Amino acid sequence: MFSENQSLLSRLIQNLLLIIYSIFALFPLFWMALITFKSDLQMFNTTFFFTPTLDNYKAVLIGTDYIKTFIDNVIVSGGAVLVSVIAGVPAAYALARFNFKYKEDLAFTILSFKFAPEILVILPLFMIYQKLHLYDTYLGLIWVYQLITMPLLIWVVRGYFEDISVEVEQAAELDGYPWYSVFWKILLPLIKPGLVASALLAFIFAWNSFTFSLQLSGFNIQTVTVASLRYIASDTVHYGQMAVAATIAALPEVILALLIQKHLVRGLSFGAVKG
Amino acid sequence: MAKLILKNVFKRYDDRKKKKGGKLADFAVNDLTITCSDGEFVGILGPSGCGKTTTLRMVAGLEEITAGEIYIDDTLINHLHPKDRGIGLAFEDYALYPPLTVYDNIAFNLRAKKMSEADIKKEVMRIAPLMKVEELLDMKPAALSGGQKQRVNITRALVRRPKLLLLDEPLSHLDGKMRQILRTELKRLHKEVGCTTIIVTHDQLEAMSLSDKICIMKDGLLQQFGTPYEVYDDPVNVFVAGFIGEPPMNLNKVTITEEDNILYFSFPESSVKIAVPSKYTKVLKTGRHVTLGIRPNDLLIAEDGSPVKIAVFENLGDEKRIGIRIGDEYLTLITSDETLYKQGDIIRIKVHEEKTHIFDIETGDKIRA
Repeated sequence: MFSENQSLLSRLIQNLLLIIYSIFALFPLFWMALITFKSDLQMFNTTFFFTPTLDNYKAVLIGTDYIKTFIDNVIVSGGAVLVSVIAGVPAAYALARFNFKYKEDLAFTILSFKFAPEILVILPLFMIYQKLHLYDTYLGLIWVYQLITMPLLIWVVRGYFEDISVEVEQAAELDGYPWYSVFWKILLPLIKPGLVASALLAFIFAWNSFTFSLQLSGFNIQTVTVASLRYIASDTVHYGQMAVAATIAALPEVILALLIQKHLVRGLSFGAVKG
Repeated sequence: MAKLILKNVFKRYDDRKKKKGGKLADFAVNDLTITCSDGEFVGILGPSGCGKTTTLRMVAGLEEITAGEIYIDDTLINHLHPKDRGIGLAFEDYALYPPLTVYDNIAFNLRAKKMSEADIKKEVMRIAPLMKVEELLDMKPAALSGGQKQRVNITRALVRRPKLLLLDEPLSHLDGKMRQILRTELKRLHKEVGCTTIIVTHDQLEAMSLSDKICIMKDGLLQQFGTPYEVYDDPVNVFVAGFIGEPPMNLNKVTITEEDNILYFSFPESSVKIAVPSKYTKVLKTGRHVTLGIRPNDLLIAEDGSPVKIAVFENLGDEKRIGIRIGDEYLTLITSDETLYKQGDIIRIKVHEEKTHIFDIETGDKIRA
């Protein structure tokens, strides 16, 4: 980031600006974490010093079935990404390698799933899901989450496949390997950065999804985003408990993002422009 | 070690057929028949898009054969899976497996054959010195230079113990120096391994220096198939004549004229005349236009020759190239003469008449006595 010949002063200024920006960007997260330890009485004051309490955590984790919604969210988001990987990688391969009629139109259609706001399709989907008994099921949510996860995965991985020379595959074929070992031994390691980055990003998008899970589930299955709403009671809003729910919900994403940030930038920027 | 026979092989790509309505010219390879004997080094030479790589890929089994038959050692291989054809193919852009080390790249094929690791090691170590890649075995392809990649690529083809080694433009991505080194190595390799080898190239120098036989193609059609000497000394048409040789043969439009019962090639807009060799006198008539082919080293500077003006003078050190104008026609001649000329000088030239080639101006075919 910083080249050798930059003066000390300009480096200082750059760092200072970055620090100010990170404080600005991270403050909401910090504040959210802070108020999880506040009692409802202290909620609206802006002091940083107060008597911390774990009551909010107790109320959320023991008082409600928050842990179940958390697990539901893992199942639904993880399942959605898994299905996207299993179906999306071959689709990306086909779009990268084979020439068929309306190929680009098909690729664009897949991408266009991300254009429309979810609210636009929710009503017909709701009716269809009621009829098909997919409403409020894991399968139903995993299926509809494909709209979120699949386009991203296909487009990133497709770029990676396009960068791999066809001759590499042909060489492996000449070597006498069946296609699945060619895929496993040669192609998979090459697309891995893109696959990992896009799958994790898709996971985060699915994890944060609100509209679909709000409308298409509710009784048996509840995701963390929807569950956070429960702390708005008829008499008062339990901001502390809501903050606990949101903090716990954000934790996996923060941890994931920290773990993969290097891959994320490389994986998403490398594929398309590498060749 | 094997014999390769291509019999009336055609190749047409489907998408071309649709676009142009399936004319004969749309064949990427058109009625190709060649035979490569056991242990021969055969060069397939032609400009880009002439069908040479397609031919190679059909032999390798990576392209379907539209019509015709391909035999390796009397076995019809048209429908044989690539891995069962007993061929080793070195791809043009190397196609090494990036996640694997050089050793694993070379061992990849042996692993497919379920060979034991000890045997694989023995085999890799036997082959590696041939292409001098022992030092590179622990490296990943990304760390190799172009020349090294091509060595590994060829090693990988050799480790399959192919009956037939196919090289697709192996030197075309390398810089000049590396190209020469590897060219010599290929020649040495062929002597050591002795396996029938086919090389596809667009560089006539490569084909001439490496091959026992050259197959020259243009637009999918075989032009000439013969030894380097044959294609150089007796080109069947204007295309082959112009393609082989550096600098290329001078091909000029001339008219046959007669003076005192002797036939001459006369250059238009010029008084320069070249006597027609006696063997041609029966087939050529006065007034006919033909294409005259003269190799640059068959044009000689001589005191008793015809005067011409120098248009370009290039000093390449050990040889000098002189561009001259005869009427409207431009010719090149090579001399090792020490004299340094300059543009506009008048020199006297003579032609090695017996070594001239004449081609029909319409068909481009060679006119034979």
